[in-house]
Amino acid sequence: MARNLLAALLLFVALVVQVTVLNRLPVKVVPDLVLLVVIVLAAMRGPLDGAVIGFCAGLAADILPPAGELLGQYALVMCLTGFVAGRLAAHAPLFATLVCAVLAPALTVGVRALVADDGVGWTYLRTVWPWVALCNLIAAPVVLWAVRRLLRERRRQTVLVPSWRRI
Amino acid sequence: MRDSRRTRLILGILLAAALVLITVGHRSGDASVAGPLRQIASSVFGAAEQASTKVTEPVSTFFSMVTGAPGAKERIDGLKKENAQLRSRLAAAQLDRDRSKQLDRMLGLSGLGHYRVVPAQVIARRHTPGLEDNVEIDVGSRDGVRRDMTVLNGDGLVGRVIRTGPGTSTVILLTDPGSSAGARLEGGRELGVVSGLGENGKDGNLIRLRLLASTVPLKKGRRIVSFGSQNGTPYVPGVPIGEIERVQMTPGEVTRTAYARPYADFSALDVVGVVVRAPDRDPRDSVLPQEPGRGVPGKKDKGKDHGKDKSKDRSTGQAKRRDTTGDSGEPDQAATPHQDEGRD
Repeated sequence: MARNLLAALLLFVALVVQVTVLNRLPVKVVPDLVLLVVIVLAAMRGPLDGAVIGFCAGLAADILPPAGELLGQYALVMCLTGFVAGRLAAHAPLFATLVCAVLAPALTVGVRALVADDGVGWTYLRTVWPWVALCNLIAAPVVLWAVRRLLRERRRQTVLVPSWRRI
Repeated sequence: MRDSRRTRLILGILLAAALVLITVGHRSGDASVAGPLRQIASSVFGAAEQASTKVTEPVSTFFSMVTGAPGAKERIDGLKKENAQLRSRLAAAQLDRDRSKQLDRMLGLSGLGHYRVVPAQVIARRHTPGLEDNVEIDVGSRDGVRRDMTVLNGDGLVGRVIRTGPGTSTVILLTDPGSSAGARLEGGRELGVVSGLGENGKDGNLIRLRLLASTVPLKKGRRIVSFGSQNGTPYVPGVPIGEIERVQMTPGEVTRTAYARPYADFSALDVVGVVVRAPDRDPRDSVLPQEPGRGVPGKKDKGKDHGKDKSKDRSTGQAKRRDTTGDSGEPDQAATPHQDEGRD
């Protein structure tokens, strides 16, 4: 329960930081922090949890205040991404994270191109996606390291504190 | 295997839910599911976003500063330059407004006298007190300006053109000691010559009027207009010149001398006009400023300013001397200035 709450909190912070800090930086392309957190959490906890976390995070991203008309596209994409990341991570966590970080934006664009009719499609995939993918690729190990450290430290702390007391 | 099946089931349910959400949201917009969800989200996330923005504003500012640092210097320079430009433009706009006002007045004056005027702007001034007083204006032979054309502004006569280039011309001002112009007293035929003093010493901006007829009463406040020459060169007739401010005693001389304050402010010349065609008929006094504006109260004020005792003494002395010379028809006319001054 505690780790579920922690994951929710983490996602909430990631969502807020994404729209208030990252997206307002004066650069064209920024990493998708929410996606990366979802991928990392899924890689740490397996496909089922990954899918659920992805769905919830995607839904939250869909209704995050400066959101567009479309409801559910991020839920779909992140649900799938979480599942895939959890599946692959059983063998190679870093590889899974990177692959998902690169492919998820393309999947988002694909879903959007199928669902909505606003001209997002090949041109975006050709021009913007490589940069987004690169950005995610660079940021993914950092997020992986940070989230792992955060979650593990908590676990270790509970172990460490009694031992420290014993000394 | 069981776990995997359960996982797949849940995944399938979630994906289906997402697709349903997409479909429903796409179909009915904010009306059904999306509306309430979005409201909750905006209340929850909105608060968090506000707080986060407040907290992270320094961070984002810092980041934008860092990322903008390479261009910042250039930008600062550019902004500085732009700032200076805008400031000068503002000053220019102010100047333009003043100029357009002056131009309006000048055109009004020239319209009154049916002069045809080329508007010009003073671009340079050469001024040595008592020696020379010339200005350069930005019209030249290309604009139809020729030598010996009259230059005026909204207030009155300024000078005449002495040299023209293709785009500029030199104007000798009325206050230049070397310039003299034919003048005529308002409401009469008395002729005189106005020449400059070059702002020499205590006389300030005054010009000297030498009246050719020694019998004419000269009194403070009488106004002078240009007399005009043949074909309107160098001076066209009827342009207001100034007001007599001081009358000088010249006993035994053929001419009488007075000092007049020109209407035009020579220390702040800006928009002037070159009269390229004189009026067909002499406008005589019609171009002079309206009398009520410079009426009796104004005269009184000026008299007070100037120290009336002196002028009184002088005028009485003048009257006495005239009495002794005993010119014909003098007493009536000589009495007038005396009375006027006394009334002041």
